[in-house]
Formats: sequence, structure tokens, C-alpha cells
Amino acid sequence: MTRPVAHITAPWPTQEEMEKSLGISKARKRALQAIVNELKAKLSNWEEAPVTSVEPEKRRKRASAA
Amino acid sequence: MPPLPDPKGVFLNVPYDEEFSSLYVAYIVGLILLGLVPHLASEIPGGDRRLNRIIQLIQSCRYSIHDLSRVELNVAPSATPRFNMPLELGMTITWQILNPNQHTWFVCESEPYRIQRSASDLNGTDPYIHGGTVEGVFRELCNAFPHDRAPSVPQMLIVYFLVANALDSVFEKNGTRNPYSRSVFLDLCSLSVSLGTFYPPGKPAV
Repeated sequence: MTRPVAHITAPWPTQEEMEKSLGISKARKRALQAIVNELKAKLSNWEEAPVTSVEPEKRRKRASAA
Repeated sequence: MPPLPDPKGVFLNVPYDEEFSSLYVAYIVGLILLGLVPHLASEIPGGDRRLNRIIQLIQSCRYSIHDLSRVELNVAPSATPRFNMPLELGMTITWQILNPNQHTWFVCESEPYRIQRSASDLNGTDPYIHGGTVEGVFRELCNAFPHDRAPSVPQMLIVYFLVANALDSVFEKNGTRNPYSRSVFLDLCSLSVSLGTFYPPGKPAV
């Protein structure tokens, strides 16, 4: 049995190159901006979640030091 | 002779049904986060015969993914087998045999060994088995398109979760609840590209 594998050598595309290849117009991007902003805010919180989870520990240390 | 294919282009040959929509979104998110450009038959404007448009799309893409995981008979009367995906796979195989350096095709399935019964002519070709899960799709995409700088499967899952949760807003914006329509497809691609900037190539995996 064989399973093909793609060995991609082309450089990683930029966001602009991706949008151009996909045919995403500036008007479409503008119309989606509100949704994108909302999702990016959620993603930022997601990324920060492990950091905020450390906060109680930091607070405890600060409290015990005081 | 058709022009050289887009080296990042991936023709997605998937079933256009409601039950498949989560895996469909997963393919879009996963491919874009891997720096690839998904293409769907429905994104080509009409005018020409559908088969002609599909073959042009296959020719314009360096890769294609053929998901044969939904080979069951349609439950609605009269029970009808789904022939579109195997038909487009056959067209792709012919194109690849005639142009071996211009196209690579991948077959995906949800169950191991089933393809040996449903399409025994493909014996000798090992399909990628995603198990019918979003995580499985990401795992198999990473296997098919390995790249040191790719985001991790957990990172892909986060982006998928956000894009999938925005689906209702995208439907409302486009006045349709069909995820396979051209406008919804392009919006899903656009959202994935925007969120993909959070995981630039080479960023350490979570």
C-alpha cells in the first residue's frame, strides 16, 4: 500500500498572498471585519488563558510575602 | 495546454451535505493554517458545463483531496448512492496519470479498509483515515502535508472552534444557511486566514 505525501518547498505565503490566491476581495474583508474582530478578541483571551490561570498563584505569593 | 497549477492550490472534493459540514469547515481551516489554498467546485462562477468547470479547477490545483467517507446510500427515497466524489476522483486520477508532475491526489476515509470494498480499484492506495472527527481531519492533513513550521493540531482546533461558532453570523451576512455556497466558503476562508495570523509559521506548538 502507498500513501502520497506532499513535500511543499514553496515559501510560506503571507496573509496578502493567501487572500489573493483565494480571491478574497477588500469589500469582503471589510464586510467581515466585525466578525473577525470578535473572533480575534476571543482568540487573544484564549491565548492568554494559561497566563491568567497563573494569576491566583501569583496573588497568593504576593499576599504571603506581604 | 492548461497553465501550470497553483503550487498551494488544493481542490476539495467533499460531499455537500449538512452532516459533513463540520468536517468541511475543518478542511478549510486546516488547509489554510498549513499555508495551502482550498478550492471548491461551487466557487467557480456558472456559465460553463459543471464538469468542465470541475476539470479546470482540478488542473489549476497542485493537489486534491477526495473524501470518500460518506459512501452510504441516501436515506431519503429512493435510496441513491453518491457518485459525485468517485467521479471527480476518477477525473483527477486521469489528469494525474497524464501529467504526473503536476498533480498529487489524496483519498480520505473515516473507516479503515472500507475503501477496499467501496472502490476496490483503489487497492494499493492507502487512504488517510480521519475517523469522522475534526481532530482526525487536522491530524491527517498534517500527515499528508508535513511541514516543520505548521501549527499544532490543538492550535488548529482552537481556530476551528472559533470559525465554527461564527458560522451563524456568516450565514446571516450572506442570507443563506448553505455552508457550501460560494459566498459562505469565501467568508470561511477569509476568517481562517485572519485567525491564522495568530499562529505564524514556526511559532512553538501549544
